[in-house]
Amino acid sequence: MRKASLLALVWVLIAAILPARALEAPLPMDEAFVPAIARQDDGRLTITWSIADGYYLYRDFLAAEDDGNRPVTLQSKPGTVKDDPGFGTTEVYYQKASAWIANAPQTIRLTYQGCQDGGLCYPPTTRTIDTIAMTISKPDSGFAFAPAKDARPVERPDTGFSIAADNGETAVDRLMSGGGHALLFAGFLGFGLLLAFTPCVFPMYPIVAAMLTREGEALTAGRGFVLASAYVLALASAFGLLGIAAAWSGQNLQIVLQSPVAIGAVAALFVLLALSSFGLFHIQLPAAIGNRLKCGRQQGGSVGAAAVLGLSSAFLIGPCVTAPLAGALLYIARTGDIAVGALALFALGLGKGIPLIIMATIGGKALPRAGEWMERVRHVFGFAFLGTAVWLATPLVPERFLLLPWAVLTLAFGVYAGAFDGLRPTRGYGVLARVTAVVSLLWGSLLLVGFGLGANDPLTPLGPLKGAVGVGRTAAIQKSDFTKVSSIVALSSFLDTAAADNQPTLVYVTADWCVTCRTIERSVLTAPDVAAGLDGVRLASLDVSTLDAENGALMRSLAVVGPPTMIFFDRSTDEAPGTRLVGEITPASLADAATLVKGDAR
Amino acid sequence: MLTRRTVLTTTVATAAAVLVGGRPSFAQQLTKEEVFFDKDAPVLGNPKGDVTVVEFFDYQCPYCKKVHPTVEKVVKADGNVRLVLKDWPILGDASVFAAQAVLGAAQIGKYQPAMEALMKTKARLSHDDIEKALAGAGLSMKELTAAVNTHNAKISGLLDRNYSQALAFNFAGTPAFVIGSAIVPGVLDEEGLKNAIAKARG
Repeated sequence: MRKASLLALVWVLIAAILPARALEAPLPMDEAFVPAIARQDDGRLTITWSIADGYYLYRDFLAAEDDGNRPVTLQSKPGTVKDDPGFGTTEVYYQKASAWIANAPQTIRLTYQGCQDGGLCYPPTTRTIDTIAMTISKPDSGFAFAPAKDARPVERPDTGFSIAADNGETAVDRLMSGGGHALLFAGFLGFGLLLAFTPCVFPMYPIVAAMLTREGEALTAGRGFVLASAYVLALASAFGLLGIAAAWSGQNLQIVLQSPVAIGAVAALFVLLALSSFGLFHIQLPAAIGNRLKCGRQQGGSVGAAAVLGLSSAFLIGPCVTAPLAGALLYIARTGDIAVGALALFALGLGKGIPLIIMATIGGKALPRAGEWMERVRHVFGFAFLGTAVWLATPLVPERFLLLPWAVLTLAFGVYAGAFDGLRPTRGYGVLARVTAVVSLLWGSLLLVGFGLGANDPLTPLGPLKGAVGVGRTAAIQKSDFTKVSSIVALSSFLDTAAADNQPTLVYVTADWCVTCRTIERSVLTAPDVAAGLDGVRLASLDVSTLDAENGALMRSLAVVGPPTMIFFDRSTDEAPGTRLVGEITPASLADAATLVKGDAR
Repeated sequence: MLTRRTVLTTTVATAAAVLVGGRPSFAQQLTKEEVFFDKDAPVLGNPKGDVTVVEFFDYQCPYCKKVHPTVEKVVKADGNVRLVLKDWPILGDASVFAAQAVLGAAQIGKYQPAMEALMKTKARLSHDDIEKALAGAGLSMKELTAAVNTHNAKISGLLDRNYSQALAFNFAGTPAFVIGSAIVPGVLDEEGLKNAIAKARG
């Protein structure tokens, strides 16, 4: 395929200028036209351009506006009339040009444009003049970000910062250029496999397990394999479809799906699954669902059910932004090559599912067939489902009440485990169950105490006490240490402040619903290495829990697919190349990136 | 009623939607596919030629107009060169309008006469100048407006891609050429163009 082989040729964008040029290579715009400003005795602001030999500036294209984009009157002297029989007449300036502004406002955006005589015409360039400090900026972020409004129907946002150019090349490009579609598929399969053991994918395990226990006596290794494969194939297909939807809508669809309603619905689904596991469907509550589940089991229709479950599960793990996912989505957005991107995402989903298939096949053999034990296993899964539901609903629960559902659930499990203990004689399982029950009850009580103390982390319910005793790790970085920025303007001014203090900046893109972010906040940011590494680095966070126009625009301008992403800006508000972290972030990788940006900027 | 203004503003709106809604990152790296084989970009010369010459240009840029006959001559004489013309309107409103009108003409199979008519103009252009030049080539503004409106998304998309590519190449301005894997900013004389083609052929 022509496309594939040509795609592989990624160009290096350094001009190979041919020797046989008729004219010398054009100067960069900044060198051809050098503006300077001065205040005149009468208070007018003068702008003077020094123009290189063989270059000219158009009089017609001189323009100025204030920071509210209102035009500012610019006076200029008549220029030289360039009357070329070939091109007609234009009024231009050679060598030197001047313009005046009376009653200049504090901020002026000055736009001008010119040509190399006989060679080339430059696009417009814009510089910002501060008439109080009497400074003139470099071209606003290069002309890449600020073409005059005439040249482009729409002005790109003048962000005041720049992201590293290496974002253009994603894992997809590298794999495609290395070995085409086969390597791409294998590569993303591998990425998926590596990601299969991250917190994001954990909810998949109880779902598949529950699916298998429903099979009851019919469950064999083969059956487990078939069901899990159907589930995983559907999951992977949904991943591919998400990529296509992202390409089509230009949005990371999964992020949009993280609305409270969607989360609430999925959490409710898990409660329903739990109730079904507890056998509540026997009392015919939602009879329709119960019947369907029963029918499915007998007629092999549960392969279809597994596929439906797989499709919907994709939404559950879809929002987890990982480096490969971000790479594939950015690739699609950049090239519009949906097929390649979707293939990559399909392979990623498949990779994530491989351990599930293995687990199901082994489990199909090992799980108890029938009887009281089967019931117990099913009940335990019921608790797992409830746990998943609580965990999913976490962003919807006020922080103050976060521990309460966990406490109730843990206590309930303790009671349950203890309750059937009496039935078992002095077998090993009995001891295990009792221990589990006691641990659960104890932990549940601690959670209740923690709830009373106002703690909000189920793993450290007594955290508030630690602070009181003074053992708190004061050096550790917390989420609250990050200054929230939610718009391009806010980030730009934050970066400027940091740059003025000669400090680099870390921008952390996070969200309440981002599972990986919670892990990062709990165990990565708190690591001593990280605290040391980030010492002297300004911290800003972009919270995309609810996506709106402002933070969406900022996300796009940063080329961020979703949380978690960490971007380092050096002291001149440019992203430090090679420091961006996406997805699973470890203390070591974060500390390394921080060290790099600090060293870089020095 | 559809006027030039509405053509322009609707296109602006579409372009805005594409720009704001679409791309998380603009291309920093390009593929040959994107630059040489953009399905919406007009192709002249020999469409099956073994070397592709891409020219980024503006209808108001004097040097683009000056170099154009040379480019056509060399391409024709060679007989085995694909010539891809990419509008990069950098000289104001009228340039954007001209590019849109000519790409509209392309949709009704009249790219070449429209493009040639504007390339032959000898001055900076106003909207009226552009209309007159196109009328002189037998193209009415009415049919062009209709064509631009119908293929609005396609034309805006192409102009957007041209723009991103010009940025990615870090071109100083117009004209600028991509010939094989060589990038040439500014005008080229006949000899220079021939050499570049020969070199691309390797």
